[in-house]
Amino acid sequence: MSSHAARAQSQPEPTAPQPGRFRWRVVDIVVASVVAVATGVLFWIWSSSWSAMSVPFAAFPPAAGLLTGVWCLAGPLGALIIRKPGAALYCELLAATVSALIGTQWGPQVLISGFIQGLGAELVFLLFFYRRFGIGVAILAGLGAGLFLGVSENIMYNVEWAFTWQAVYTVTASVSGALLAGLGAWLLVRALAASGALSAFAAGRSAREV
Amino acid sequence: MSATTMVEGTTAAPSGAGVPAPGTDLLVPVRRRTLMVRTHPVVKLGCAFAVTLTVLLSVDMISAGVLLVALLLALPFSGLDMRVLLRRLWPIPVACVLSGYGTALLAPASGTVLVDWGPLGFSTGSILTGVAIAMRGMVLALAGVLVFATTDPTDLADGLAQRLRLSPRFVLSALAAFRLVGLVIADWRALSMARRARGVERARGPVGIVAGFFALAAALLVQSIRRGTRLAAAMEARGFGGKHRSWARPSLLRPRDAVMPALTVPLCALAAGLAVSLGTWNFIFL
Repeated sequence: MSSHAARAQSQPEPTAPQPGRFRWRVVDIVVASVVAVATGVLFWIWSSSWSAMSVPFAAFPPAAGLLTGVWCLAGPLGALIIRKPGAALYCELLAATVSALIGTQWGPQVLISGFIQGLGAELVFLLFFYRRFGIGVAILAGLGAGLFLGVSENIMYNVEWAFTWQAVYTVTASVSGALLAGLGAWLLVRALAASGALSAFAAGRSAREV
Repeated sequence: MSATTMVEGTTAAPSGAGVPAPGTDLLVPVRRRTLMVRTHPVVKLGCAFAVTLTVLLSVDMISAGVLLVALLLALPFSGLDMRVLLRRLWPIPVACVLSGYGTALLAPASGTVLVDWGPLGFSTGSILTGVAIAMRGMVLALAGVLVFATTDPTDLADGLAQRLRLSPRFVLSALAAFRLVGLVIADWRALSMARRARGVERARGPVGIVAGFFALAAALLVQSIRRGTRLAAAMEARGFGGKHRSWARPSLLRPRDAVMPALTVPLCALAAGLAVSLGTWNFIFL
């Protein structure tokens, strides 16, 4: 029933042909934006929720890779909800921009980071032709984003570390991405679908059938 | 930089989430409408990227030092409230010193070894590299502050859509969603207080923090997506996403917009050129 409402809402012109599977409707764009903004706020909350435990992580920086998965959350989350090409890239980039706009600690380089991490997730969904959005693909997308984060930070920021520590950081960031961003996004979307909030999206409809 | 801990300068809210009251101005307020404030946002973003790329491409004290001095000198011309700036932004130097410390600890030893813990330790060479990393972090953060704190998101969106020709549907949706930031923060506070009222204890330990974070994140996203779906219906009802679109605020480039690039580009060239000619340029891809 809600799928009817959503479809009617998404097509202002009744004569328009059935929009392609890959075409973004207005509701897709707006909800992707809202999800990205909320995730940008979550980035900021996430970092402040660890402030009490930041000392051990700061003492041994490669361990901090374990916390970086949440920076990759927006990509898998956006793609799992919207299921359109570019959703992961768009959401991650916008979430990074929001965290820069509200945080002030992160400069323009966070936009570069957002692009790279979004790309890592996007490529995984592309690999499955935007047809599979299950738990396995979600974890792979989180892993991809975490891997891209680890490698890119090793090039941009950890460039002077000994190779061993760069390797440790890449592994911790990838594991963190797979768990916090991949599995985390999948669990979040499952909870969102159960709440009925995704009734305008394929993600919400397929959850109801299962 | 995204991995560095971001410490919030404002006092912790009663919810304990470290989130300031909704409506609290997160950015440093602009006191004077200086040239930097009035420069076209896309031009300003371009200047910030020029500085960012210059400083990112090399880890050395000369290029980072030149840009750091220049940005510190530029601070008074930003029109930002200096007292608020200093109060809000003390975490930046802290984070930069920490990242410098990390590099000094983890870089291969060179020069005189001061502390040797096997693969870890400090040497004169690694400490100097750490100082360069810290200076670089300061440049990146200051470039971000100067641009983002002096830019109105609405102007930036107008500029991105009209001058850079990015898709107006995406840019304006992003702007509309960004307007909800205050509501999202208020939602988070309400949700965490509701959780406390129900008797759910404050999360402890790494697993507790992660589980608590995701439980509240799910509730926050439900609220946001419901709001976004309504927003989309309202925007579409007003014709958003149609074929033709006009602009309430034309985003125009003016002669004064040339001033910042005319200062920034030679400055970046000077920083990189000086480092190269002094032999300190240390390209990150090599």
